[in-house]
Amino acid sequence: MLKIEGINVFYGRIHALRDVSMQVTPGQVVSLVGANGAGKSTLMMALAGALKAKSGAITYDGRPLATEAHKVVGQGISLVPERRRLYANLTVRENLLMGAHLRKDAKEIEADMERMKELFPIIRERIKQYAGTLSGGEQQMVAIARGLMSRPKILLMDEPSLGLAPLIIQQVFEIIGELKSQGMTILLAEQNAFQALEISDYAYVLETGRITLSGAGQELLEDPRVQEAYLGVKAKAIEAIEATEATEATETTEATETTEAIETTEATEATGQ
Amino acid sequence: MALVFQTLITGLAIGGIYSLMAVGYSLIFSILNFSNFAFGMIIMLASFIGYFAMSTGYVNLGVALFLAMAGAGALSFFNERIAYSSLRKRHAPPLYFMISAMGTSIFLENMVYATIGSQYKAYPQVFKVPTISIFGASLGKMDLFAIIFSIVAIWFLNYFIQRTRTGISIRAASYDAAIAEINGVNLGAVIGLVFVLAGFFAGISGIFLGVKYMAYPNMGWITNKAYVAAVIGGLGSLPGAVTGGIILGVLESFVSVYISSTLRDVFSFGALIAFLVIKPSGLFGKYLEEKV
Repeated sequence: MLKIEGINVFYGRIHALRDVSMQVTPGQVVSLVGANGAGKSTLMMALAGALKAKSGAITYDGRPLATEAHKVVGQGISLVPERRRLYANLTVRENLLMGAHLRKDAKEIEADMERMKELFPIIRERIKQYAGTLSGGEQQMVAIARGLMSRPKILLMDEPSLGLAPLIIQQVFEIIGELKSQGMTILLAEQNAFQALEISDYAYVLETGRITLSGAGQELLEDPRVQEAYLGVKAKAIEAIEATEATEATETTEATETTEAIETTEATEATGQ
Repeated sequence: MALVFQTLITGLAIGGIYSLMAVGYSLIFSILNFSNFAFGMIIMLASFIGYFAMSTGYVNLGVALFLAMAGAGALSFFNERIAYSSLRKRHAPPLYFMISAMGTSIFLENMVYATIGSQYKAYPQVFKVPTISIFGASLGKMDLFAIIFSIVAIWFLNYFIQRTRTGISIRAASYDAAIAEINGVNLGAVIGLVFVLAGFFAGISGIFLGVKYMAYPNMGWITNKAYVAAVIGGLGSLPGAVTGGIILGVLESFVSVYISSTLRDVFSFGALIAFLVIKPSGLFGKYLEEKV
């Protein structure tokens, strides 16, 4: 169990995380949704040890998490960073080896490499290529694989859908679902709230450095505040749907289409970044 | 024809030394993104280590090379720990590193003036018959040895950087240090290792320069040439450093023989300017952007 208790993180004078508390239960997918600048990446970097919390505690199975970045992965926590951040000057294979940097079991590393090729067929094709030559979607797959190569107990995924085409985003979420079914514990930070909440057992909403809401993924999906703020479902639109439900069926479909249209626009906006 | 051959071999020998120096420079540049001006002084100190070791009369060239490499490796390591590591922990911009490097080099140079003195120290003769005749050309044995030893040393380094997992982590950290740390790389240890490796190359080039030109306190500034070589090849690129070093060495050697040895440096620094104007990323430089 990963427990975060009342952490405060600063960027210079900016108070980026305020008394954030949350926990990640083994075997679950927990998501962290929030807008740009809400502090999702800050929290991820703090967990990975790349940023230090001024106060509060992060513990894993009761033991405090290392505050030096290079020791955290050894404790079973692995980060798939925002914007992938592959080593462009290394081949795909070398990137994966970097994921397994602290491991000494050469045979098992090769076996995991094989498993990654099964899970992400594109890696088999690109294994000898420099990571910098891959497309965004391919890079995301390699980044996830690199994160898995340390055999983490918890995989932290920071905005895995960022900057990807809708079809690729679908694939990314399918992979997350696949990992979940294999029993992997995942903490997922996402702007793409709808898909993140759909796949999550539990979720937290982060707004300007504070956790404002939390609950089961499905629960939050139905929460009107979440719907209005993150799912692009306008309160009026909901009313409109409810109102038209009483009238003709054709109108209903139109209204639903409108909400869907809003969703897709938001999705494209998110990917356009 | 014999003269061309002879000039080429001399050029390759000098180029080999430039390559060794440029490799050391580039290693450090690739991971910390600044030009370590103190590197030249470590070469100078290594040259003095070699001189004092060999002038005892008990030490041959091989042992002197070993001692100079070990000494320069240690000096280079402490150079980083004392002058740069605190800047690194505070995420200082490269300019601060360069200023610290200049301070270090002025300190080391004057330390030598104050303790050893300003005289030129000539190494004892390494080979009884210093030249060998091949195809009518008279070639320096030391030049041939320098060429072969440079190739071997650079081959080993290249193998280490390209093939071993530690080498991969050096390349990874040189691209994105923060992510390398998240992957479990102990950045302080990797940077220490890079400085030790660069120190080994300083040790080798210090000996070769000493044998060729003598040891003296301000010989460290010859690393300006290594800097030119590294820029021609592309700063931070190891194959670039080697190619740049060889191009520069051969160019200088031919200019000295066929034009005028006094114009040698005009051509060297002319080449630097030409590259900075036409292709600032050098022959093998991949990227020029600032690191975070």
